[in-house]
Amino acid sequence: MSVLELVANGLIFSSILVLGSIGLSLIYSIANFANFAHGDTMTVGAYSALVTFGAVGGLGGSVLGLPYGFFVALLVGAAMAAVVAIVTEKVVYESLDIGSIGLLITSIGIAFIYRGLIQIGFGADFTRFDIVALRPIEWLIPYGIRVTHHDVAIVISAAVLVGGLHVLLQYTDLGRKMRAMADNPDLARISGIRTKRITLWTWVIGAGLAGAGGVFLGLFNQLAPRMGFNLLLLIFAAVILGGIGSIYGAMLGGFLIGMISQLTPVLEMVGIPIGIEYSNAIAFVIMVVVLLVRPTGIAGEAT
Amino acid sequence: MSRLDNWVDYWSDLTRAEQGVTGSIALFAAVLLVGLVTGGLNPTYFLFLVGLAGMYALMSLGLNSQWGFSGLINFSVAAFFGIGAYGAALMTSDSAPILGGFDPILGLVVALSLAAVMAVLIGVPTLRLRADYLAIASLGLAEVVRLLVLNERQWTNGSGGVRGIPRFFDGWPVLSTFPQAMPGLEIVIILGSPIELGTPFYQMLLNISLVAIFVGASYLVLRRAHRSPWGRVLRTIRSDEDLARALGKNTYSFKMQSFVLGSVIMALAGVFYAHLNLFVSPGDLNPITTFYVWVAVILGGSGSNRGALFGGIVVVTIREGTRFLNEFAWIPFDTAPLRLLMIGVLIVLVMKFRPQGILPPQRELIWPDAIEGSETEPERHTNQQPGGDTNE
Repeated sequence: MSVLELVANGLIFSSILVLGSIGLSLIYSIANFANFAHGDTMTVGAYSALVTFGAVGGLGGSVLGLPYGFFVALLVGAAMAAVVAIVTEKVVYESLDIGSIGLLITSIGIAFIYRGLIQIGFGADFTRFDIVALRPIEWLIPYGIRVTHHDVAIVISAAVLVGGLHVLLQYTDLGRKMRAMADNPDLARISGIRTKRITLWTWVIGAGLAGAGGVFLGLFNQLAPRMGFNLLLLIFAAVILGGIGSIYGAMLGGFLIGMISQLTPVLEMVGIPIGIEYSNAIAFVIMVVVLLVRPTGIAGEAT
Repeated sequence: MSRLDNWVDYWSDLTRAEQGVTGSIALFAAVLLVGLVTGGLNPTYFLFLVGLAGMYALMSLGLNSQWGFSGLINFSVAAFFGIGAYGAALMTSDSAPILGGFDPILGLVVALSLAAVMAVLIGVPTLRLRADYLAIASLGLAEVVRLLVLNERQWTNGSGGVRGIPRFFDGWPVLSTFPQAMPGLEIVIILGSPIELGTPFYQMLLNISLVAIFVGASYLVLRRAHRSPWGRVLRTIRSDEDLARALGKNTYSFKMQSFVLGSVIMALAGVFYAHLNLFVSPGDLNPITTFYVWVAVILGGSGSNRGALFGGIVVVTIREGTRFLNEFAWIPFDTAPLRLLMIGVLIVLVMKFRPQGILPPQRELIWPDAIEGSETEPERHTNQQPGGDTNE
């Protein structure tokens, strides 16, 4: 494995992590609690896409080795994740008045409910999207990079989604209201912003991006009921590294944590005896160090 | 007659929740008894379940002393449980990759010391953090511990686990041969389904007495500690840390002491598990254990030790009860995810309808004579604290 290939893998994995961390950071700052069900929201998106793709099929042509039907499934997966999150917010979180710690514990229960239902429906085994695996792109192989068109599609789609979110946040009314609410919910409320509606939109956007991230994770690796929960701590590491509440920080954090976790083999190349099996552990230790040294993260403002 | 009146008085003194819990425990015990008598429930397996319940109760007591009394959100329960189990296993097993072959008592001491050291190591960076950061950080560090146990094969034998752990009482004068020495009994209550009590039954009986000693000792130590001035400082920290600091308490040091105490009790559960199961593997450090224990504590009522005991029993009932469901053919799926679903629903229901738990702390934080004193001699309130210690 060349370093260039590790960087390429890091880029792909980062794209998935970024999609997950944006949603977690948005919900952390606006709904004001650490949502432990966020990883399982990604799983919900992935399995919804799996079902949709099985139903609609390829739909004729394909882009970057991915049939049109897959993109339909991607949209449905993101939408389903958003719907599930909205229903959960309406049925469970909204009526609770138990502080952020109580909500945190509740969200663990929600995560188990999502995962339990998925496992009842689909079994505990690994599955894959019914898409033919591609050969690595020919002209990149001489550089030691083995990536497929699917991987390119993941990175491009994630970039489009993140770009869309940037436009939404900076240039639309909803985006300004969301930023105002993330900054100071009380102030936003007395300025006449309907905070409940904005909270709902936050869930839609955060869970939708997570759902899309879940679909890509299923394409990059495999689908399993535990896939989202296993990624959750890495997403937390990304969000904390970037700074909780800062959406651009979450993007940066997701990128860095994704890179670090895929670049772990470099440590052995330079003679540090820490193997690939500790890539997650490195991310968690970085997370704890950031919490200690700079709890506001890279992009966070001192509060 | 007067004895009956006492019982009636006692019953009407209980809160409705207490009456409900007492009633359902009685009902549950009756169901188990019927199961035992009719031979539907194997007595050895039943004792195994009691042992598991005791193990969860121990972990719940440990977590309760961290979360319930000091407000520390510790999501690394599974790591401390695993350290206890692996510490005992590596010290005592004859096939351990390092150490091995020592006396279980020595294993116990080493495992608990190891857990205390690790509690300090995890506590030093994390206990200064805000509550929700502590949750995430401790879950992350617990994963680091699990990955170390899984991958450092030269010490832990990796995913193969450690076998050959002796029973706790092996090598003791009378107790080591007690199960073999006891006569095999066969009790026939209902014709056709005799209840056999053989060597495994007596072995399990020894295990149960071990966990009963562990739980009893921990319960007494915690109850004494939490009624002491030390416990009062912890409760002050939980409700208002700034207030405790303003009163001149070093809250960080108090939190560390509480964290170490709770973690050692969790490791005690791990030591018991190693000698009950006679095999430990990295799967025992799976974070799901942490969440089971959390369910037990919030269900029982944060800060309530008897609530923690009750929660431990409920969790084992869910964990093992869903295994029975697999025997019913009409359920079209594996029941393992059902366990997950039930735990999840239970968490949400408790947080929604009874966030204080089913048995919230009532009188257990106060000396009993303090209550009686205040009822009979209310004027003592004015100048001195009844039963309390004034030299705090």
